[in-house]
Amino acid sequence: MLMSDRLTGAVVATLGALSFAYGSQLPPVPGQQVGPSAFPMVIGVGLVLCGALIVLGVGRRLEEVAEADVALHTAPELLKPPPPWKAWLALLPPALVAFYALASEALGFLPTAAIMVATASSAFGARAKLVIPVAIIAPFVVNLIFLKLLRVPLPGGLLPFPW
Amino acid sequence: MMNTIVQAFGLVFQTDVLIAIFASAIYGLVVGSLPGLSATMATALLVPVTFYLSPIAAVATIITASAMAIFSGDIPGCLLRIPGTPASAAYTDEAYAMTRKGQAETALGICLWFSALGGIAGTLSLMVLAPVLAEFALSFSTYENFWLAMLGLMCATLVARSSPIKAIASMLLGLLITCIGIDNPGGVARFTLGSTDLLGGIEPIPALVGVFALAEVMRSITEREPPKLEHRRLGSILKGQWKLTKEYPVQQTRGNIIGIIIGVLPGAGADMAAWVSYAMAKRFSKTPEKFGTGHPEGLIEAGASNNASLASGWVPALLFGIPGDTITAIAIGVLYMKGLNPGPTLFSSQASSMYALYIIFILGNIIMIPLGIVMIRIASRVVSAPRSAVMPVILVFCAVGAFATAGNNLFAVWCVAVFGLVGFFMEKNGYPVAAMVLGIVMGTMVEQSFVTSLIKSDGSILPFFERPVASVLAAMTLAALLWPAFSWGLGKMRGGRAQAA
Repeated sequence: MLMSDRLTGAVVATLGALSFAYGSQLPPVPGQQVGPSAFPMVIGVGLVLCGALIVLGVGRRLEEVAEADVALHTAPELLKPPPPWKAWLALLPPALVAFYALASEALGFLPTAAIMVATASSAFGARAKLVIPVAIIAPFVVNLIFLKLLRVPLPGGLLPFPW
Repeated sequence: MMNTIVQAFGLVFQTDVLIAIFASAIYGLVVGSLPGLSATMATALLVPVTFYLSPIAAVATIITASAMAIFSGDIPGCLLRIPGTPASAAYTDEAYAMTRKGQAETALGICLWFSALGGIAGTLSLMVLAPVLAEFALSFSTYENFWLAMLGLMCATLVARSSPIKAIASMLLGLLITCIGIDNPGGVARFTLGSTDLLGGIEPIPALVGVFALAEVMRSITEREPPKLEHRRLGSILKGQWKLTKEYPVQQTRGNIIGIIIGVLPGAGADMAAWVSYAMAKRFSKTPEKFGTGHPEGLIEAGASNNASLASGWVPALLFGIPGDTITAIAIGVLYMKGLNPGPTLFSSQASSMYALYIIFILGNIIMIPLGIVMIRIASRVVSAPRSAVMPVILVFCAVGAFATAGNNLFAVWCVAVFGLVGFFMEKNGYPVAAMVLGIVMGTMVEQSFVTSLIKSDGSILPFFERPVASVLAAMTLAALLWPAFSWGLGKMRGGRAQAA
């Protein structure tokens, strides 16, 4: 997941350039010199400058100092890098949130949340003995909190809350 | 005056507010003590809940939960050498060294006792400073507001423990995000790419939940499980604390003052306060060699400091809507949501609510002591709660919480997912997300004061520097902007000389 400063700096600068170009196209407010285009253009210039400096590696040393400082204050066993395949697991949580956005209306809150919890919990390395009860109880409790305490109805879908 | 105070007590001592305080205290203690779940995350996840509470109860949950979480972050730091929240990272080593020396109860006691005292000191500063500054702030025009907001944003980038350029880039990205939608001086749809969902702009709350909560879940899934906490018998926790209070009055006061100052500075929060105070304690100590070997001095100073900063961080938040740190950034969102719009007039128009806020702060810090003791006693059970059960529940909360605050709109859920990804990648590559969040929270206000000022001045830049207060604020902002370059140059010169010698 770690990308080079050249790449991230280039992305920042490109965003800045796009923002400037888009901002300059915005229609002015009649009778006024400054309108909605000023702010995106100013930000755009700033982003281009920052992006360029990042590509050139300015400020990298300060980052190293901060990293070393943090490393000094953490337990050595926590600093060992985890196996590289684990990095890809990071994409699972946002994928599950996206799944909620897609499925909750049709499936209903309880089944959707149960699937999310079961998947995430297994990915964290839990055994079935823990995964199944958590996946059944947690959505139920969350639904109860939102429905009874906060009075927010959650989508019913296939399996509406029983009371 | 008396009348308002009585009214304020009436506002606080209501069943719903008291329940909210108690429940959020327990919530804050538990979440703060779990390694990997920060105080900011605890607060961000609470926001959807506060949506459905009365204004005072909503503010009370934020205040209590954040104070408790900052304290209880010290518990795993002390017992496991894993800071529960970034705010306790500065002195985790010291606390753990005390535990190894068999003084776990003293170390935890220091964290608890001096956190509570620091919190109360911070509250007193809020009570004194805020009304005075409010008087002053009433005379501010858009020029001053613009520079103040810029100063806040610059401070946020200055204190980020990373490259200042990346911090500025993150902050600008945050500002760019607020440009999305039609909420701008011309009422023109900007950056909407034809999507109707984007017309309303990006709400700060889903963005906060994504960046602070979902990104934490993502990080935790890639890291190994923290070691189990063994059950240990602890002696009396408050024993000897009074003696330490009398023994180290200077350290304690200095910790409180530094915490308050850092809290008031826009953008710098509890973690910064702890780092600075720990370093101060070491520098001014008579026995600096004892630091790191389980010496209470630094622990007292930094433990007091991070809690003191919490309350004073509310000063710029309440007065100008400029967050003192990430927690107050969230709090500002809640204040707007509840019709308590930040601004100097808040202290005259909503005086009883302000007093209620002070009372909640004091109350929160007082109940921290008994609840904290209970928490320390049961810590071994709570801290070892399996990550594989806690994180999935947080994940569900991220999705459903954002969904509920946005008026049951699925667009907010998509925002959470996207901001989770963005936050994770930024943090991994050294771009401080806190700076981006401050940009998102303050963007609309910055643009408004910027464009209004420009319209007033007919497009000229000069009036930005003409009014006395504005020019001072401008000078401070530019100094903050140039400071990294200056210190870099200085380091280069020193490095060059060292090599030459």
